[in-house]
Amino acid sequence: MPLLPRLASYLHPERMVPVLVLWLAVCLTETWAVDRGNFKTCDQSAFCKRQRALKPGESPYRALLETMELTNTRLTLQLINDNNKVRLLLELYRLQGNITRVKINELKPLKPRYEVPDVLIREPPTEPLSLLSQDENGVVLSLGSESQRVIISARPFRLDIMEGSDVLMSLNSRGLLTFEHLRMRKDTFSYKVTSTVASVWDNIKRVFSSQADPEAEKKEEADPANQAETTKDEEEKVEDGMWEETFKSHSDSKPNGPSAISLDFSLPGVEHVYGIPEHADTLRLKTTENGDPYRLYNLDVFQYELYNPMALYGAVPVMLAHNTQRTTGIFWLNAAETWVDISSNTAGKTVFGKMLDYVQGSSETPQTDVRWISESGIIDVFLMLGPTPKDVFSQYASLTGTQSFPPLASLGYHQCRWNYNDQEDVQSVDAGFDQHDIPYDFIWLDIEHTDGKRYFTWDPHKFATPKEMLQGLMDKKRKLVAIVDPHIKVDSNYKIHNEIRSKGFYIKNKDGGDYEGWCWPGSASYPDFFRADMRAWWASMFAYDQYEGSMENMYTWNDMNEPSVFNGPEVTMHKDTVHGAWEHRDVHNLYGFYVQMATAEGLIQRSGGVERPFVLTRAFFAGSQRYGAVWTGDNAAEWDHLKISIPMCLSLGLVGISFCGADVGGFFKSPSTELLVRWYQMGAYQPFFRAHAHLDTPRREPWLFGPENTALIREAVRQRYTLLPYWYQQFYHAHRTGEPIMRPLWVEYPQDPATFAVDDEFLIGRDLLVHPVTEEGARGVTAYLPGKDEVWFDVHTFQKHNGAQNLYIPVTMSSIPVFQRGGSIIPRKVRVRRSSTCMEHDPYTLYVALNLQRTAEGELYIDDGHTFNYEKKEFIHRRLSFAKNILSSVNLAPDAQFTTRSWIERVVILGASKPSKVTLKTADGQDSQLEFDFDASMSVLTLRKPGMNAGADWTVMLQ
Amino acid sequence: MRHVTACFRKRKHGEFKCLSRSFKQVLAGFYETGRREFTVLDSDMRFQVIVAAVFWSGFVESRKVRGISSSYKRFYKERKSFLCIDGSKIIPFEQVNDDYCDCEDGSDEPGTSACPRGRFYCTNLGFRPHYIPSSRVNDGICDCCDASDEYNSPAHCQNTCWNLGQKERAYVEGQMRTLDEGLRLKQQLIEEGVLLWREKQAQLRELQQVAEDLQIKLEEHRRRKHEAERLKEQTLKALEAGDSGKGRILMRSCCNPYSITVDEVKTKVVLVHDEERLLSEDEALGLLGGGHQIDLTKFRRTLWDVLTRGDSVKVRSISLHFQHPPRCFFAAEWEATNLKKVEEAYETVNMEISDLRKKLAIDYGTDWEFLFLNSQCYKLKVYEYIYTLCPFNQVTQKNTAGTEVSLGTWGMWAGMPKNQYSQMVYENGEPCWQGGSRTTTVTLTCGTETALRSVKEPSKCQYIMDFQTPVACQPVLKQRGIHSEL
Repeated sequence: MPLLPRLASYLHPERMVPVLVLWLAVCLTETWAVDRGNFKTCDQSAFCKRQRALKPGESPYRALLETMELTNTRLTLQLINDNNKVRLLLELYRLQGNITRVKINELKPLKPRYEVPDVLIREPPTEPLSLLSQDENGVVLSLGSESQRVIISARPFRLDIMEGSDVLMSLNSRGLLTFEHLRMRKDTFSYKVTSTVASVWDNIKRVFSSQADPEAEKKEEADPANQAETTKDEEEKVEDGMWEETFKSHSDSKPNGPSAISLDFSLPGVEHVYGIPEHADTLRLKTTENGDPYRLYNLDVFQYELYNPMALYGAVPVMLAHNTQRTTGIFWLNAAETWVDISSNTAGKTVFGKMLDYVQGSSETPQTDVRWISESGIIDVFLMLGPTPKDVFSQYASLTGTQSFPPLASLGYHQCRWNYNDQEDVQSVDAGFDQHDIPYDFIWLDIEHTDGKRYFTWDPHKFATPKEMLQGLMDKKRKLVAIVDPHIKVDSNYKIHNEIRSKGFYIKNKDGGDYEGWCWPGSASYPDFFRADMRAWWASMFAYDQYEGSMENMYTWNDMNEPSVFNGPEVTMHKDTVHGAWEHRDVHNLYGFYVQMATAEGLIQRSGGVERPFVLTRAFFAGSQRYGAVWTGDNAAEWDHLKISIPMCLSLGLVGISFCGADVGGFFKSPSTELLVRWYQMGAYQPFFRAHAHLDTPRREPWLFGPENTALIREAVRQRYTLLPYWYQQFYHAHRTGEPIMRPLWVEYPQDPATFAVDDEFLIGRDLLVHPVTEEGARGVTAYLPGKDEVWFDVHTFQKHNGAQNLYIPVTMSSIPVFQRGGSIIPRKVRVRRSSTCMEHDPYTLYVALNLQRTAEGELYIDDGHTFNYEKKEFIHRRLSFAKNILSSVNLAPDAQFTTRSWIERVVILGASKPSKVTLKTADGQDSQLEFDFDASMSVLTLRKPGMNAGADWTVMLQ
Repeated sequence: MRHVTACFRKRKHGEFKCLSRSFKQVLAGFYETGRREFTVLDSDMRFQVIVAAVFWSGFVESRKVRGISSSYKRFYKERKSFLCIDGSKIIPFEQVNDDYCDCEDGSDEPGTSACPRGRFYCTNLGFRPHYIPSSRVNDGICDCCDASDEYNSPAHCQNTCWNLGQKERAYVEGQMRTLDEGLRLKQQLIEEGVLLWREKQAQLRELQQVAEDLQIKLEEHRRRKHEAERLKEQTLKALEAGDSGKGRILMRSCCNPYSITVDEVKTKVVLVHDEERLLSEDEALGLLGGGHQIDLTKFRRTLWDVLTRGDSVKVRSISLHFQHPPRCFFAAEWEATNLKKVEEAYETVNMEISDLRKKLAIDYGTDWEFLFLNSQCYKLKVYEYIYTLCPFNQVTQKNTAGTEVSLGTWGMWAGMPKNQYSQMVYENGEPCWQGGSRTTTVTLTCGTETALRSVKEPSKCQYIMDFQTPVACQPVLKQRGIHSEL
């Protein structure tokens, strides 16, 4: 929900004349698409400009080998910048699970530099390091048992990670390591004069801000009084933007001066890199030489543009690199504004060019070079060395945790709109779903439900009896999500505000007062979620007796938590605001992470730790997967936005955040009926399935587009519900392993280069391949079915297709091309009811798709669907396998205990041959014959009503 | 009912083998068959018949298949096999309601949730029977008021049909009363409407008469004015003739005593040395100082003086004679004023006529029953806004600060073809910020009072109003009401 249209539409006309004028001004210049001028380019971000100006190959850093200390688990070594003699401390750790951690900080910083807390789930356990050899040029260390070594070269400093004779990754190989040490500000002219005059001077400077002030510069250089003890910066230039920076009308005072860090990584043999969400761009990251680097800085971008590297709402500084041999990852643990440059020696080459190189044998090894630049903090980087994609996922999960295991209901369909106007509206939409026999689990309330944008309250007229409303939903086993944003209305009659203010929990401005910005409620302050005591207090506000009108079927949505500040620089918070000892500059990208963390904690606490929370967030950071779901923010009702939802969610999944979705239908603008239907068909196969719409768009509940389209949407939603057992099992798996749920093809087919850049189709788990229709008026799609030894079954027609081919699939409006992998078993519940909770005890149908070896495997996971009791081993987890004409269910978790009423009502075996008889053997040793039906045209064998309990041991023999 | 429930509880998922006939079901069956025949009777009488049927039914033996209406019983006669109703498949009869879907059309599982396209019949004795989707059978939510859909679920459903039936009956009775009263009022309003229509027609005729009279008057006044002008001209000529020796340049007449135009200058002013030649346009314009018309006084005071002084135009010794205008001049003025007045009156009347015609051109229903709404406005306060509906005119919204916004002006009737008078549309209200303009759709419902009942804005700038009025009552609704309710 971005600034302008929302603002314009919620304020009353007479109160918003100035805003309207502003809006008109904006609107007239650009009616649609992001106003790029609101957001910085690298050139407008002083540190990025400064860093990017550095040329490779001139590294001033030298490793002081004599300072090396090696304990069992940790190597330390000093680096020196030969230009200014500032010393850095390098720490190197070998972490369990094939991860190497490299930390670089100033040896003696003037004051501490920010190290990101709370993102790592624990201090990562280390493994022994050992010295292999050492001379005056460098050191060679062994990285554990695998034949991996680290070579530290002294001059210039450089770090190479080798396996055998292959270089996996090199650090500072291009010499772009920089570490702007903290320094005292030299006496400048503006320092000497009184503060009043200084501010006047500042203003004057601002007027002429395009050039550095030469006089001040000279004075600074000339003044000997203020040298930091270890620095000798005769050669250092004070550049513009080091001590103050202005963007548009916003001035950023920089009391700590320049503090940027940067490091380059070379990835030999790599042509494909992924990750570093959030960007509205292709799955495969592009080289950035001809434009801006990819930017990571959580921002509320109004009407974001597609296919560019601009920052969006969230930031996960994790990049994956992949080739047919190996997958690796780089996790750059830094919460400040960050830019990532990518270059490649093959980027410019055509396929023909590459072929020519190959034929001539003259090719240099392909290589991708990456450079990370952050505004402050330290270098703390985790090199995840794979070698398989799944190893990287597990390595990253070992650092930041896995996807939280959500309540089953949250995998159903969510109906949202800004706004459902009042209780009656909610009730009638709810009734509409029943009337049109479309299932849904959650209805959502956006900001208008509150009393004047005071979160934790209700509009006294429109939502006078929220518990009645919630009870009405509960009676239908449905739930509600109400929005709670982190900006708090400054209003002395508002309890939440008064408490936060009196406890001193607000973020402070640079002068020590409570920071105030402009957001939905008007003037608002922002709780300091970086304080654990603030988070605890916030969590306590979700208690049923604190949050009036809340009930156990009400969950929470955290929006605007970048944080969005309408009148702030780049629509966010001033970087010089203060969080205790730290500046906002140091911590910015973590704000949304903490908001969601505290909210999720509140939902857990209110149930006494029993119930799983559900919290949706717009802003996120590494580790946000532990607290709930994210969505791709304020997209638009356009076909390209439908398409981009695939790479956007795939990129998030690669960095651990699996519970991802895009607003179905598009947030801004009004979708054509065709687009809306196609979006439902897409959304039904993405992890988080929520329709949402802007306040100014016409209604678009699924039944408003004629019976035919209602039927198409109903069918898409029903397909989602039949697959809920599979989705739930995928989430359980993701929760256990950190593997993405919605995953790119290359994750499962890492040796097939044809999959490396595919982002118009995706896999759900291993076994379902989805190629949604994303073209207007499409008559067909061409799907790539991967795997030369695979077969794929169309889940609707059961037609079998071979793998490793591009398959043209004719489509109609009802088509959602989905394929089940031969060799898999997928459980479904085909009795679709009005909500997932209503389906709890329903029987399962098993879809067994045979591969070329006539085998198949799958799992079945069942628990109560909403509590943490699964952590106490209260679940059923079974392996289903088919081999040698025997289908069997065996317990994967013998120590777990759970009983279910669900049974197996049907087994559908795809690619089967006709048996003469089918025998079921249950755990009590009893045999019984099963009726079956065989469709010879499609080779589909259907076993009628085997009837065994879903938690039991059994075998079915085909004879 | 207790034995029936007990019987249900015995079943496991699947095999429903309750052979004992249920009181309720038989009763339901009779109710169902009775339904079609009794529809013409009033509700009280029907109830008596139903009760009679219930007692009588105790002697009839038949097996009941769960979830079907009696009209479907013929498909479920107990035989060895069952033919799916769509004819697609034959299955053993044991597989009917065995909690596994065999028939594509779901007809083998009317009483379970097994078939995706199935439906379950709620008998709902005492209330309305109806179908629910099979997916609502045993889903833990009470859908049938007789609780028959939750026969194997943890939900504790009460039989609420009797209460609902009573409520429904009370409601229907209330509706009936409203309808009766509404129709009575409507009749009055129709009569009033007819009168009002006639009145308006009379008003129109009256106005038309007035207009005709005015036209006659107008012609008379025009004639008189013309006469007066002619007289004035004569007088002027006479004046000029009597003063011929002095004037070198002649102002031949003065039709308009207050100003002088280019044309006048061209035709009435001649040069002394060449009286035959008329002034050219440019010359005349020059004489007037560039304008096409000039105030006479000003002309005399400025330009004329300049001209006579001869320093800008070389015309020598010219003069113009003006005297105090003679009486005939005043008469002409007087007539002109009178004419103007009459013209204005005529215009006003014509405007009124056109207004009235426009109003009368609106469709006020077959019997002009909506005519009385024409000059009325109805208000409703919803949260912080006051909405005003002035039928056939406009809809507005006023906030607490007093700012009024148009939500549309009268557009058209927009109901379904069956009853186009059930909905009005008001369009082209204040523009919305994202384009388009505010529109309001007014749904008319039957009630004994005429009032605005609700206003909603489901989407931005799209308002819907519920407007209650007796004239929306439809006799056809009354009949349908009786037939469908009970």
